[in-house]
Amino acid sequence: MNLLPTLTEPRHFVLWERALFAALAGASAYGFWRRFGPILGRILQSKKDPDFRLFPITKRVRDFVWEVLLEAKVIRERPLAGVAHALVFWAFCVFALVTLNHCAAILGLGFLDPAGRVGRIYFAVAALFAIACAVAIACLFVRRFFVQPQWLGRLSWESGLIALLIFMLMATYLAAFFVAAPAGAVRALWWAHTLALLAFLPLIPHTKHLHLVLSPFSVFLSRGGFAQIPPLRGDEDFGLVAGKDLTRLVSLQAYSCVECGRCMEHCPANATGKQLNPKEIVLGLRGYLDEFGPASEEPLLGKYASQQAAFECTTCGACEFQCPVGIEHVPILVGLRRGAVNTGAWDDAYGAKLFLALEKGSNALGLSTTERDKFVEKNALSIFDGTQEYCLWLGCMGAYDPHGREIVLALVRIMRHLGTSFGVLRKEKCSGDPVRRLGNDFLFQQLAEANLDAMVQNRVKKIVSICPHCVRTIQEDWKEFGTPPEVEHHSEFLAKFASQLPSFQSQQKIVFHDPCYLGRYRNAYNEPRQVAALAGELVEAPRSRERSFCCGAGGGLAFLGEERGERVSHVRAAELAATGAEVIAAACPFCNTMFRDALAARGGGAPELMDIAQIAARRLPERNAG
Amino acid sequence: MKIVVAIKQVPNRDAPVRIAAGGKWIDESDLEWAMNEPDAHALEEALQLKEQHGGEVIVVSAGPERVAATIREALAKGADRGLHIVSDDLGARDALGVARLLAAVIKPENPDLVLTGLQSEDLGLGQTGVILAELLGLPHATLILHVEKTDAGLKVKRELEEGWFQSIDMSLPALLTMQSGGNKLRYATLMGIKRAKSKEMRAVSAAELGIELAPVVTLEQISAPKKQKSTQILSGSAKEAAAALVEKLKTEARVL
Ligand code: SF4
Ligand code: SF4
Repeated sequence: MNLLPTLTEPRHFVLWERALFAALAGASAYGFWRRFGPILGRILQSKKDPDFRLFPITKRVRDFVWEVLLEAKVIRERPLAGVAHALVFWAFCVFALVTLNHCAAILGLGFLDPAGRVGRIYFAVAALFAIACAVAIACLFVRRFFVQPQWLGRLSWESGLIALLIFMLMATYLAAFFVAAPAGAVRALWWAHTLALLAFLPLIPHTKHLHLVLSPFSVFLSRGGFAQIPPLRGDEDFGLVAGKDLTRLVSLQAYSCVECGRCMEHCPANATGKQLNPKEIVLGLRGYLDEFGPASEEPLLGKYASQQAAFECTTCGACEFQCPVGIEHVPILVGLRRGAVNTGAWDDAYGAKLFLALEKGSNALGLSTTERDKFVEKNALSIFDGTQEYCLWLGCMGAYDPHGREIVLALVRIMRHLGTSFGVLRKEKCSGDPVRRLGNDFLFQQLAEANLDAMVQNRVKKIVSICPHCVRTIQEDWKEFGTPPEVEHHSEFLAKFASQLPSFQSQQKIVFHDPCYLGRYRNAYNEPRQVAALAGELVEAPRSRERSFCCGAGGGLAFLGEERGERVSHVRAAELAATGAEVIAAACPFCNTMFRDALAARGGGAPELMDIAQIAARRLPERNAG
Repeated sequence: MKIVVAIKQVPNRDAPVRIAAGGKWIDESDLEWAMNEPDAHALEEALQLKEQHGGEVIVVSAGPERVAATIREALAKGADRGLHIVSDDLGARDALGVARLLAAVIKPENPDLVLTGLQSEDLGLGQTGVILAELLGLPHATLILHVEKTDAGLKVKRELEEGWFQSIDMSLPALLTMQSGGNKLRYATLMGIKRAKSKEMRAVSAAELGIELAPVVTLEQISAPKKQKSTQILSGSAKEAAAALVEKLKTEARVL
């Protein structure tokens, strides 16, 4: 026991010291509240989230433990900086008691005796954390000010000051183990520690360190469902039009941002020279709230965020997936689009064309439904009548796009080979994915309701689809208007039957591109790989699985005009080609078209592009009875 | 400016059109319905004029119950008021009969301008508009792409054949039949739909209007067009062939 070093505290405090401490602590708390009070006010004055449910709470608790207490997300996505940050955070947790005792001591209320058994052990453990924290903060300081990763944004003196204060806190604490006399020195150390502490407190709400206070709440209270778009409520809710539409969750998230730039680092739009930067979107909301407040009628798309940026988002969800403080960018971006589209403020020739095509017609490609009928007839696809196991959902791409059709036909061959019964709907409308993500709630409701109706009428129990966008929209987004049937993506279907499919172990190298709507949105990473691996050896792209880089088509962007800057699809296609793979395996008809064009632009020597269904069907006997 | 727009509900363009038993009309059971495209452009022109110069846009349509949906669509896009002439036998009326119905409700409105599509996508007679002008006693112009309000009245742009245009000054009141494609149609919005709920929509039956007139033109029989396929091979270098293709897509197929 006596081997443990002992912390030395001043034995007693004189009256003026106590008075000074009380005055400084009061000033410090005032400095904190002066900024924090109004922030809290703006969050609480925001509109209530109509769909907020605290329960089921288990997922919230799990996320909280995993993401906040264990810092698992921070560490996993940026290991070095993540560990350093975790050490600082854990030291803060341990120091909560130390600090409380430190302040209580001057009032004669100290509860941890440095010489006592418990106190000794606790202070020694805290000392270990203090050492780790001091080293970590020094490393982070070097990274911030000397390495300067660009996504952290411009340098700010506050960051430096905060790092210095944390370092001082740790150093003064540790020094107290070595300085036992004279009393003056002990006292000076105590005061130095106290002053650092009291200076730190008011800095929190004035800087990005506000996340210390808010991020535990933003993680715990987040909607939870990935990229989940909340329902609109009432006759005056058109999405995020003005401050009055910001909900408490959105406002809380806006103030929780720690400006780490992970979102922008992973954003395909930001990486290819678009105006959109998800971090600026979040900070823009904060700026808006600071200036106009949560009751304002001032449009949100204006001074702090541009309409153009909002419509450059592919809804790939990379930002939301990466954000360490639980900020949900996709509902925010889609919310801004809803505000613009539902009120008619968005004026875009391509967008209007898409909307008008779906107001009158059945598909996003604006083609005649007779084209679909012909395709169904020509390939003798039976019509779903409630007796078959699967309803094969064609989707716009599968029914109308030549390459999408090839994917469908590959899947059809496999299903026939396996003897799985299936049928297609006689009439099918667009699932509503592009209009949902572009924020057209009127059209989305129309399409979802018409399709849900067809599901009921045809007694559909289970759907299989080649399109991750349809799968997501049917499974999650339709819920707003009814109960959708169970949906499988064809990768999931094929993986179940992989053992019954002919495999062909060749030396051919295959790289699989994770579609955003299959990976991040649906957590299906292994199933498509299992299928692709039937025909060769899998290699991985530098950015794969959760970190996969978008093809550029999502969010309805496939239907909009030319992108500014570099094309997202070209960047990704180059990355996939650079793996040296002979085959690029896709699992989404949109990725497929995007890469087809991008690879064609690259010219000769480009890898072959195939959907996993085509890969799996390649070894099937040429003709099999339907 | 008080503008009346006469619109027609027609079978959706890619609806499966089948001839009904009896051979005098199409089988309506499996159809979806939409606003006649040239009428949609007439409505858009009216809305733009209102946005620039103020006033009121009133939508008039004749047909059975289902027509109400198309009127509501027009209200959602920005029209102020709807008039529905309920008539279940529109198919049996000729252009004069329909124009009389329309005239009966439009006349009391005393509009400054009446707009309608130059023809319907289903029957394509192209007469209702001009007859309506006659019945209302208004000057009219057809094939209009663009309307501009001037101090004296209107300046309109007509589309002639072969890429020729004609510009005309007109006085008000007047009736114009609008060509498709002169303006960009707006999409329907949630806000528009919600606001439309509180807009006035009045229904009158054809019988109430007291216009029961035997048609002067009667429909004998309808038949489906014969299918014919003509493949053309474009000759020349790839560049020339591509240029010829673009030209054909523009002028013949009219998809560009
Ligand atoms: S969803 Fe994707 S494209 Fe949109 S802001 Fe986030 S990272 Fe960028
Ligand atoms: S939104 Fe999240 S990921 Fe982006 S900078 Fe803020 S805290 Fe970091």
